[in-house]
Amino acid sequence: MPKITVDGKQIECRDGVPVLQAVLEAGWDVPHYCYHPGLSVVASCRLCLMEMKMPHPQTKEMDWAPKLFPSCQTPVKDGMEVRFASEGVASSQSHVMEYYLVNHPLDCPVCDKAGECYLQDYSEKFGHASSRMVEDKHKNPKKDIGSKTLLYSDRCVVCSRCVRFGDEVAGAGELRVINRGHRAEIDVFPGVPLENELQGNVVDLCPVGALLSKDFLFQQRVWNLRSTPSVDPTTSAGATIWIDHNDDRIFRVRPRFNEKVNEWWISDETRFGWKYVADSKRLNQPLQRDNGAMKPLRWEAAPELLRRLLDEAASADQGVGVACVLSPMLSCEEAWLLSTFVRSRAPQATLVTGYVPVSGPDKTFPKGFKISAEKAPNRRGVESIIKAMGGPNATFEQFVKSAGDGKFKLAYVTGGYPQVWLTADQARAIGKVQTLITHDLFESALDEYATIRLPGASWAEREGSFMNADGLIQPFERALKPLDGVKSDGQFFHELVGRPGLYRGAKTREAMAEKIPAFGDIFVPRPEPEHAH
Amino acid sequence: MSWQAIDRKSAPADEGPGLSDAVKEKIRAFFPRYETKRAVMLPALHVAQEAIGYISVRAMKDIAELLELPPSAVMDVVTFYTHYWTHPRGEKVLMVCRSLSCQLMGADKLQHAIETKLGIKDHETTPDGKFSFMTEECLAACDHAPCLMVNERMHKRVTPEQLDKLLADADSDKLPMPRSDLYDAPHGEKPARGH
Amino acid sequence: MAYEQILMRNCREGGDPSIKQYKAAGGYQALDKALAMKPDELVEFVKGANLRGRGGAGFPAGVKWSFLPPNRTVTYLCVNADESEPPTFCNRVLMEHDPHMLLEGIIIAGYATRTTVAYIYMRGEFTEQFHVLQKAIDEAYADGLLGKNIRGSGYDMECYIHRGAGAYVCGEETGLIESLEGKRGWPRIKPPFPAVEGLFHKPTVVNNVETLACVPHILTRGLDWWNGLGTQNSKGTKMYCVSGPVNRPGCYEAPLGITTRELIYGKDFGGGMRDNMKVKTVAPGGISMGFLRGDMFPKPDGGKVDVTRDCDELDCLLDFDDPRHYGLLGLGTAAAVVVAEDTDIRDVLFNVTRFFSHESCGQCTQCREGTGWMHRVAARIRDGAGRQYDLDLLAEITKNMGMMPGLSICGLPDGAAFPIRTLVQKFRPEFEKRIGEQQADAAKRRILQTNPAAYDLPILQGRAVQPAGGTYMTPEKLKRN
Ligand SMILES: Cc1cc2nc3c(=O)[nH]c(=O)nc-3n(C[C@H](O)[C@H](O)[C@H](O)COP(=O)(O)O)c2cc1C
Ligand code: SF4
Ligand code: SF4
Ligand code: FES
Ligand code: FES
Repeated sequence: MPKITVDGKQIECRDGVPVLQAVLEAGWDVPHYCYHPGLSVVASCRLCLMEMKMPHPQTKEMDWAPKLFPSCQTPVKDGMEVRFASEGVASSQSHVMEYYLVNHPLDCPVCDKAGECYLQDYSEKFGHASSRMVEDKHKNPKKDIGSKTLLYSDRCVVCSRCVRFGDEVAGAGELRVINRGHRAEIDVFPGVPLENELQGNVVDLCPVGALLSKDFLFQQRVWNLRSTPSVDPTTSAGATIWIDHNDDRIFRVRPRFNEKVNEWWISDETRFGWKYVADSKRLNQPLQRDNGAMKPLRWEAAPELLRRLLDEAASADQGVGVACVLSPMLSCEEAWLLSTFVRSRAPQATLVTGYVPVSGPDKTFPKGFKISAEKAPNRRGVESIIKAMGGPNATFEQFVKSAGDGKFKLAYVTGGYPQVWLTADQARAIGKVQTLITHDLFESALDEYATIRLPGASWAEREGSFMNADGLIQPFERALKPLDGVKSDGQFFHELVGRPGLYRGAKTREAMAEKIPAFGDIFVPRPEPEHAH
Repeated sequence: MSWQAIDRKSAPADEGPGLSDAVKEKIRAFFPRYETKRAVMLPALHVAQEAIGYISVRAMKDIAELLELPPSAVMDVVTFYTHYWTHPRGEKVLMVCRSLSCQLMGADKLQHAIETKLGIKDHETTPDGKFSFMTEECLAACDHAPCLMVNERMHKRVTPEQLDKLLADADSDKLPMPRSDLYDAPHGEKPARGH
Repeated sequence: MAYEQILMRNCREGGDPSIKQYKAAGGYQALDKALAMKPDELVEFVKGANLRGRGGAGFPAGVKWSFLPPNRTVTYLCVNADESEPPTFCNRVLMEHDPHMLLEGIIIAGYATRTTVAYIYMRGEFTEQFHVLQKAIDEAYADGLLGKNIRGSGYDMECYIHRGAGAYVCGEETGLIESLEGKRGWPRIKPPFPAVEGLFHKPTVVNNVETLACVPHILTRGLDWWNGLGTQNSKGTKMYCVSGPVNRPGCYEAPLGITTRELIYGKDFGGGMRDNMKVKTVAPGGISMGFLRGDMFPKPDGGKVDVTRDCDELDCLLDFDDPRHYGLLGLGTAAAVVVAEDTDIRDVLFNVTRFFSHESCGQCTQCREGTGWMHRVAARIRDGAGRQYDLDLLAEITKNMGMMPGLSICGLPDGAAFPIRTLVQKFRPEFEKRIGEQQADAAKRRILQTNPAAYDLPILQGRAVQPAGGTYMTPEKLKRN
């Protein structure tokens, strides 16, 4: 590990990183726009300049060179000495910040980025409130560049991050710089809009409010948002994300850096995959069949009722006629609690891996970003739990078939999918089960056969962990209060098992790890440096 | 209406002329000269502009296909260089140097004379499609300031008084020396002129 | 002719650019000499000549060639014929009159650097020159001077012309490389330098036309001859350009180190000013290098240089070192544009700022925004709505755009900063006088007209009409950072 001296302080840094990355990791705030660790280095914004000690050409003594160096382009070298705290650097930073405002419209009051904009932050910290240019500003137009994105090119600082992202990571190259000099702006070819599957990342990448998400446009001021660390529920890749929410409403989903999985990016599927959470068609009332008709059931009464039904079904044969379908939408903790509950009363119950939606082939992008075809977050987690629990188990197809053959007296079926997941035939087969308990987000073809129907919570209203397709166990936190009338799945299973107090993902994981040691090993990505972006 | 966003999602109604097979063949002939196909970009644009008079949207797409690039990459290059026109040009393009030497020697007056005689401004074309006008930075002929280029031909020490004769001269763009047709349109391609 | 015309021996009206003429004048003999040497010997030989690049930077060609990594299979030579620095035209003159001199230089340099393909990057506006040079290349191929097994030496080299399309920055060596690769001419960050990783990521040498054209003569006439010409650190012969209102604008050859006065007034050079006008200012090395005061100012006492005083600076020697003593960036292209006493200095400023704002490639912030801003300020001053404060502002922008090395990727903003800075510094009295002659509130009215909002900002109020506002970056602010 090379050691370098920055502003008189010695720091250790990772091998082969640029000085800028090293000092950001060590906690410095160095202004930068064009540098991004996931993209090639162009060193064009000239904000990150530093001074460096060099051997004097005549005396060969080490001294500060009368030149500024871009810290994003200079790799760390053991023993090097650099500084940012100098008059020369500060003056250069303050002038560059002024140049950015020369043609900028200063329309922060109507800009979505205000509050998390690095033009604002750096102007405040290193620059000025306005430029001294009194002539007419050169005003670039606003452009509609894709179904999901707007470009306000008058706010652009031409850092070319979005262009490099399109070329290097997404491999689509729709965005380009056109014209030159102070007339340079970003554009797409007319009729070839920005529509690649990773396009949403350019909005996060843009350090200013030039690239905007239509979905988030004028929805919320960012300082009202709270960010909760979470994991992508839409695929088995396990991308880590931030859920930005306010007043129990999600406003947007952003990537959360993860060196092992998604790095800095997420796919649009992940980014916009939360919409079902706010769907007005979601179930919000537990129901119980009473003389053929569904009647409301109080949540408080449900555990007792379920225990009784389960005991009845399992009393004669240790529960050979009981099945529990563990959806891959459940977290590991929830799946473990539910299966523990079922097995505690029906030791021979069959544990079933729920339906795993798959769509198309896996996709890999030029720099290795993957979109996986499996559209559920926790198949591997559920499978590991079923394996660790031992005893009878089945795939979903086997379960449907046996149910159709009349093998089961009672089945607890969890769903939780954002989309329709059952065919009418499958539902009819499952409907042969005498006592059918469903636990789902939306109405489904099973409803007409259900004895009890419980409304589930979305992942954003729950907490726990998902095991991704590569076996990484990644925890996620609860962002929202469950919908009125809904209880979070974990809390309900917690009560079913009869554990005291409130359900907590981490606590449950500890208990679970005592039984299944593999779950003691969770992965939390290292946080990005505070001043990196 | 600066608050309105320009629509860049839809293709323009008229994409302009595309490249003929002969033009494409001519562009392909440059491939062996370079390590990458992309390097043929500037020659390809020169040949295309010679053939159809300017670089149309359709032509950008055709070139992108030839060079195996996204069309945006071609647009990027076209807009960077001042030589390429993205709208039709007249038969003769009058290019006046506006850099220091020429300006000192009267390029302003020349420019003014052209603008009033033809009634067009920078990058515009006369209604009859005969002339277009543009200014350019130093043409590296400052010893002959002020300079005026008519297509390929450089006219030296041009005064406003000579302008009438020059505009009337059908051969004002003919070169006195033998030409290489390396960067030209293939024989028989007539550029689309005027609006 | 006072000085022997070596590079320009065939440069005259009606000169024949054919290979026949060139050979008759002794052409391609240097090539035979070169092919008899080993490539590395040749590099050492050129190093010995201290042949400094004629493209502007003045870097010794032999040293540049020796930076190529030893184990390489492919090497490219890019010939920089993108001459777009106003008011430079010596490469054009050479290429249209004696294209084979350039070709011989290319082949020798190519052999020395073991080049596989040479690309001549020629600006798009060179049309006649393109046809002449293309014909010369065809002749050379036909004569076995290019292609496979050149003159039976076993050395192969291809040579192509690549035509540019109108961008000054493509004359910068890495901008040229990017442009050749079919991209926008955005200069690359260095390191890696082109000698290590250049065109198509292969080792690449970029040299100016004139630099290469000197090589055959050094070989035929020898190092002693070459090193006998010129001054201390500037050896050899150079093509000087002079344009503007002089009696004989044109390109003239002389050993490095003639004075600016000689270039303007010498009877074999500019031949004096038209109508016996006096010189107000001259940019002796292309406009990027900056401006000197002309002889309308008094002669300095005892010929001593004092750039802080309004005195005649035409004694500046045109070699690689002396211009620095006059606050200029360097020799540049040794192309002088002369401005006569009757020209309004505001027009000169306007013209120069327009050039750089038009030609900045737009990659680096300082250059992109700084050049555009200065152009707008200069336009306002020209239109009679300047403020005294604008002069300080211009000086401040130039200082933070290009006066310190490392502020941007390429040298363009340095080249923009020097002329503007020297104009504002050296002609400040004239600017102040012109601004004083305006209507008192012209600046304020113009600003209110174009940008009332800006005028209302507290930070600008007061400053907009302040005669010589102090610096905007207060020391407290710097300390806080
Ligand atoms: C903005 C800019 C423009 C340049 N334009 C030219 C040019 O037109 N012709 C040229 O030969 N060199 C030009 N140069 C210098 C080249 O970068 C490079 O130094 C030169 O081609 C090297 O050749 P030489 O060593 O033979 O001089 C330019 C440099 C800069 C920074
Ligand atoms: S749109 Fe944003 S990301 Fe793209 S170049 Fe402009 S400022 Fe950078
Ligand atoms: S300094 Fe100017 S011309 Fe050079 S790369 Fe930067 S923006 Fe382009
Ligand atoms: S120049 Fe270093 S971050 Fe932009
Ligand atoms: S200034 Fe006009 S040709 Fe150079």
